[in-house]
Amino acid sequence: MPGPAQFWVDALPALLRGALLTLQVSALAITLAAAVGVGVAAARTAPLAPLRWLGAAYVEVFRNTPLLVQIFFVFFGLPRVGLRLSPFQSGLLALSLYTAAYNAEVFRAGLEAVPRGLREAAAALGLSGWQRFRHVVLPVAVRISLPALGNNFVALVKNSSLVSAIGMVELTFVARDLEAWTFRSFEVYGMATLLYLALVLLLVWALRNVESRALAYLRVRER
Amino acid sequence: MRWTVVVANLPYLLEGLQGTVLLGLLVMALGTVLGFAVGLARLGRGVVYAAATAFVELFRDTPLIMQIFFIFFGLPAVGIRLNAFVAASVAMTFFAAANTAEIVRGAIQSLPRGQWEAARSLGLSSAQTLRWVILPQALRRTLPPLMGLFTTLLKDTSLAAIVNVFELTTAGRRVVERTLASFEIWLVVAALYFLLCYPLSVATQRLERRLVAEVP
Repeated sequence: MPGPAQFWVDALPALLRGALLTLQVSALAITLAAAVGVGVAAARTAPLAPLRWLGAAYVEVFRNTPLLVQIFFVFFGLPRVGLRLSPFQSGLLALSLYTAAYNAEVFRAGLEAVPRGLREAAAALGLSGWQRFRHVVLPVAVRISLPALGNNFVALVKNSSLVSAIGMVELTFVARDLEAWTFRSFEVYGMATLLYLALVLLLVWALRNVESRALAYLRVRER
Repeated sequence: MRWTVVVANLPYLLEGLQGTVLLGLLVMALGTVLGFAVGLARLGRGVVYAAATAFVELFRDTPLIMQIFFIFFGLPAVGIRLNAFVAASVAMTFFAAANTAEIVRGAIQSLPRGQWEAARSLGLSSAQTLRWVILPQALRRTLPPLMGLFTTLLKDTSLAAIVNVFELTTAGRRVVERTLASFEIWLVVAALYFLLCYPLSVATQRLERRLVAEVP
């Protein structure tokens, strides 16, 4: 067994490469989950009843089943009906769809929290339906949604660890692999845990910056 | 599709479901008790506050699966050897407690400061104020988020499958390994989780609406 110093020289780069893939899959999933989430929220608040039902069914199904089972279903189950995805694609798809259900609820609450007076004022100014949504309702709704949306993104980074169960070589997988080779479980899992902590704190810091920028217009008024 | 496989293996899957419910209830009970203690500790000062805060941040900002691995694979290195069920229960209890602590703290801090001040000016001690004025009001506010956390915990019991604790996901995996009916089995496993979690979600939403309506 190599000495402690040599062990970290070997292990740390591997863990960092794993963390990089965790970061990549998380960033992609955050983008996809936000886009799908807006779509589902729009469906849930649509004037057409069947659309609303579809949106509600999506949210309830994805929020009331475990992400791990969804990942297994996509990776192991879908090939039986002819859809074969790689571990990366399966993980990305399941993570995005799962988080989108939570995002949709946040966006819906944000849309509903926009004061009626704003829509009415925009209509009185002669803006069309799309213009009202794009330039008046959406900017306000997104700002209202930001803090809760940030929580969902933090959860997503942590949830990305489940993708290791189908063999995607991200941080958790690398840690398990290193542990199996070196038996230094305490150090390896301790280090991987700290790396996750660093990723999450980094994301929280970035989100706080985005929030303070997006809400800057409120501070101007306070002065 | 081979749906007869599902019918033949349903009793085994239901056995797994039992394990899920058992683990879920255990973690909910232990996590709530420990979580209230940690949440109240976060209202304190000095070492108590620092320790409670470190506990909350560590278990909320890292993946549950890492916590399970650390306790199951990591702790034997320092002489603490737990079997898979105990290790998963301990990890999930800490995870649940950290999240419960935040719910408790949030509920207490959401009460107007005037409540503390009024009680103190009536001559109640801090402990009396907490016991007779703050907690009775805060408890109601913890209920909806606590039930939401319970739904999350029920779903998260599936992570115990990764260290081979016998519950629904483990049962599903073993059936798939035996029958190769991956599509059908995982769909049914998901449906069983849904039957468990959906009523809880609906009850949470109802309670939330009722409590919001009651606030003057």
